[in-house]
Amino acid sequence: MRIARCLSCLLTLALLVLAVVPVAAFERVGDKKILVFAGRQEVPTIDPSIKYDWSIRMMQQALYDGLVKYVGNPPEIQPWLAEKWESTPDARIWTFHLVKNAKFHNGDPVTAEAVRWSFARTLKLNQGPAWMLSDFLKEDGIKVLDEHTIQFTLTQGYAPFLSFVPWWYVMNPKPVMANEQAGDLGQKWLTDNEAGSGPFRIKRWQQGVLYEIEAVESYWKGWPSKDHVGGVILKLVREAAAQRAALLRGEADIVEGLTPEDYEPVGKTPGIVVPNFPGMTTFGIKMNTQKAPTNDANLRKAMAYAFDYDALLKIYNGNAVLQTSPFPNATRGHIAVPGFPRQDLAKAKEFLAKSAYPTGGIELEYVYVQGLEEERKMGLVLIDNLGKLNLKVKVVPLTWPNMVGRGGKPETSPDLMAVFATPVSTDPDAVAYQYHKNSWGKYYGSSFYSNADVWGLIERARTLGKWEERAPLYAEIQKRISADAPEIFGMLANRRWGLRDHVKGFVFSPVRFTGEVDLYPLAIVAK
Amino acid sequence: MLFGLSCLTFAISHVVPGDPARLAAGPDANQAMVDTLRAKYGLDRPLPVQFARYLRGLAAGDLGESLRSRNAVAADLAQYFPNTFELVTLALLLAVAVGVPLGMLAAVHRDTWIDQGARVLSVSGVALPAFWLGLMLQLLIALHLGWLPLGGRLGLTATPPAPITHLLLVDALLRGEWRTMADALAHAALPVVTLSLPALASIMRVNRAEMLETLQQDYIKTARAQGFSGFRIVCRYALRNAMIPTLAMIGLRYGWMLGSTILVETVFDWPGIGLYAVNAAVSSDFAPIMGVTLLLGLNFMLANLLVDLAYGWLDPRIRRPGLT
Repeated sequence: MRIARCLSCLLTLALLVLAVVPVAAFERVGDKKILVFAGRQEVPTIDPSIKYDWSIRMMQQALYDGLVKYVGNPPEIQPWLAEKWESTPDARIWTFHLVKNAKFHNGDPVTAEAVRWSFARTLKLNQGPAWMLSDFLKEDGIKVLDEHTIQFTLTQGYAPFLSFVPWWYVMNPKPVMANEQAGDLGQKWLTDNEAGSGPFRIKRWQQGVLYEIEAVESYWKGWPSKDHVGGVILKLVREAAAQRAALLRGEADIVEGLTPEDYEPVGKTPGIVVPNFPGMTTFGIKMNTQKAPTNDANLRKAMAYAFDYDALLKIYNGNAVLQTSPFPNATRGHIAVPGFPRQDLAKAKEFLAKSAYPTGGIELEYVYVQGLEEERKMGLVLIDNLGKLNLKVKVVPLTWPNMVGRGGKPETSPDLMAVFATPVSTDPDAVAYQYHKNSWGKYYGSSFYSNADVWGLIERARTLGKWEERAPLYAEIQKRISADAPEIFGMLANRRWGLRDHVKGFVFSPVRFTGEVDLYPLAIVAK
Repeated sequence: MLFGLSCLTFAISHVVPGDPARLAAGPDANQAMVDTLRAKYGLDRPLPVQFARYLRGLAAGDLGESLRSRNAVAADLAQYFPNTFELVTLALLLAVAVGVPLGMLAAVHRDTWIDQGARVLSVSGVALPAFWLGLMLQLLIALHLGWLPLGGRLGLTATPPAPITHLLLVDALLRGEWRTMADALAHAALPVVTLSLPALASIMRVNRAEMLETLQQDYIKTARAQGFSGFRIVCRYALRNAMIPTLAMIGLRYGWMLGSTILVETVFDWPGIGLYAVNAAVSSDFAPIMGVTLLLGLNFMLANLLVDLAYGWLDPRIRRPGLT
C-alpha cells in the first residue's frame, strides 16, 4: 500500500511538472502582453552614472529619459526631455528648454535642477559615460536658468557635445539621496533600483536570472502604439543554441547573438523574422605601429593589400559590408577614401620589397578573443594570405582581459590584434579620437597610432562650431589615417536579431550597441 | 589548507595579465577614470599590502567587493551558492540512487547483458562531454518533445517562495507551494541528469569492482553456506563493505561536481557560482574568484569530513580500532 501511495504521489508530481512547462509565445499577465527578450549578457548595474554596455543601456534607456534621444536609421537626435535647444556659434554654451509635463515615476516633475544634479553626479563619480564630456564640462559650468531651462557652459567649444547627451540620463535626486549610504551618492541603491522618468519601471530584478520591467501606462510622452508591450522580461540565456531553441519554441520573442550559421535557418522558419541592418561596429586588425616588425609602414601596407577582404564577407555569409574608410558608414562626414586597400598581391609585393623585410621570412602574432569563432576564421585567412608574402602568422587566442592587458602597452601589444569597436555617437570625433594619442592603452588604441598632424587635425575639428568647417578636416583625417595603415580596415557586420512575427514596432538605429533594442516602440499584435 | 588556498588564488589572480580597474571602468574610460577606480579598490597599493588587507577582511568575514557587480562578494555568494548546492546535491543523489544499485546488479550478474549494459552506460557517462549532452537533452526533451523547459530555475512569471533556507526546492516544500516546487523540479530535471551522469558512471564502476571483490570473501561464502538469502547477502553484508571505497568516490565526486558546474550552468542558465566565477574570471574580478575558490575548498573539506565520519558508521572496525 505504501509503495502504491508513493508511486501515486510521484505520478501526480510528474504530471504537475509536465503541466507547468511553458509553451506560450509571449507571456500574459492579466491583460498585459509581456515581451520576452532572451539575451546573453547580464545587467550588473543600471546606475546611469556608473556603466554602460548594450544590455545595461537597453534597460537604462527603458527606465530613464535623456534630454535628447537617438532615433532611426540614419540616427537622428530628437527632442525628448528637452523640447528644443540652442548653442552659441563656437559650440561653447548649450541651452536646453525642458518639456513641462515630464514626470518621474514617483510623480515628481522633471526639472532643470534634476538635470543639473544628474550631470553633476556623473561628473563627480567619474565613471561610466563621464569620459564623454568630462574634458569640457565641469560642475560649475552647469547652470539652472529657471525651472525648465538649463545651460551648459563648456571649458572650450566642443561641437560633438550634443551627440553624447543622449547617453546622459536624468535621475530624480530625491529617492537617490534618500538612499545614500556613506556618501556614495546612491550608487549602491541605484545598482538595482531606478529613479527615472522613462517609459518603463522595474518590476523584478533577479540578478543573474532575469530582469522584468513594466510599462508606465501614464508615461508623460505617451505610447506610439495602442498595442505597446505591457512589460519586458530580459531573460538570460547564455548559449546561442539555447537562445535559438527558445525562439523556435516560442519561449522568447526576441533573441540576439545567434551565430551567423544560425540566423539563416531561423530566418526561414515560419513565424520568425530576422531584421538585418548594417551596423556601426567596425572590425579591424590593429597593427602595433610602435614595435618591430609592424612599425614598418611598408610592411603594414603590404599586409593590407595582401588581405582577402571578401573572405570577411563569406565568414558572415554575406551579411556585412566592407569598410571604405576608417569611419563607419553611418558616421557623419564619412567619405569613401580613394584607393582604400583591397586585395592586390602585386601591390602587396611592391610594398613588401620597400620594407625592411623584402623577402618576408618573419613570423607575426595575431591575437583574438578566445571563443569568437569569426575572429579565429579571420586568423586562418591571414595565415593563408600572408603566406603568399612568405610571412608566417601565429594565431593566439586570449581571453578578453588578457588581450586588453596585452594591448595596453606598446611593448606588449601584439603585431596584429582583432578588434571590434562600436562608436558611442554618430559624430566623427567619436571615431577619429580612437586614433588620438589619448586613446593609447584602450583596446581600440592598441595600434598606438602616431601622427602629430592627424592628432592636430582631430583636436582642431572637435572645437569648431560649424559643420562646414569640420567636414573637410574629417575628410582629411580619414585619408591620412588610411595612408598610414595602422590597421587592416575590415568590415561592418550586420546587426541581426531573431523576432517572433507578432512583435511589431522594431526600430533599428546603428548607433545602438550590438544586441541593444529600443524597447519603447515595441508592440505585440497577436494573430 | 584554506590559508594555502587563499595564498595560491591570490598569487595566480594577480600574475595573469590584464588590468581589472581598466576592465571595470569600461572600454572608453580615460586614464583618470581608471585611476579613480584603482584607488577606490586599493589596486594601486603594493601586492603584499593588498594581500594583507584581503586577509584582514577575510578574518572579519569580509570577502571583498566585486568590481563587476559592485556588491559584497559574500552577498553574491549567498545568492548564487544555494542554487549550485541544490543542483549538485540533486545530481549526486541521482548518481548514488542509480549508480550504487546498478553497480551492485552488474557485479551480481557479471558478464550478463545487465553488466554489459551498465558498462555502456558508464563509458558513455565518462566520455560524453556535459556541454554536448546538455545541448542534446535540451534539443530532444525540451525543444522537440516539449516535455521539460529549456533552462532557468523557474518559469518566467513564477515567483519564488519567500526564502527560509534560500534553497528553492526546500523553501517551496516548507511553504507548501506545490506548483512552484513542480516548476522548480521541471527546470532542474535536465541539468541534474546532465551533471549526474559522469558521477553516476564512476560510482557504478567503483561499486561494481568493490562488490566483485567482496563477493569473493570468505564471510560471504560462509553466509551462503549458512543458507542466507542472496538478497540479504548482497544488500546487507556485501554492499556495506563495498560501500567504503564507493563512499570515498562519492565524497570526491561531490567536491569535483561543485567545482565543475560551469558548463551545465551555462547551457541551462542555472544561476549558480560556476557562472558567477566565470563571469568574474573574464572580467579579471579577483575578489569573487578568490571567494568562490575558498567556498569550494571549504565544501570539499566538509564533504571529505562527512565521508570520514560515514566510514565509521559503516565499518565498526574504524569506529572502534580495537575491534577485529
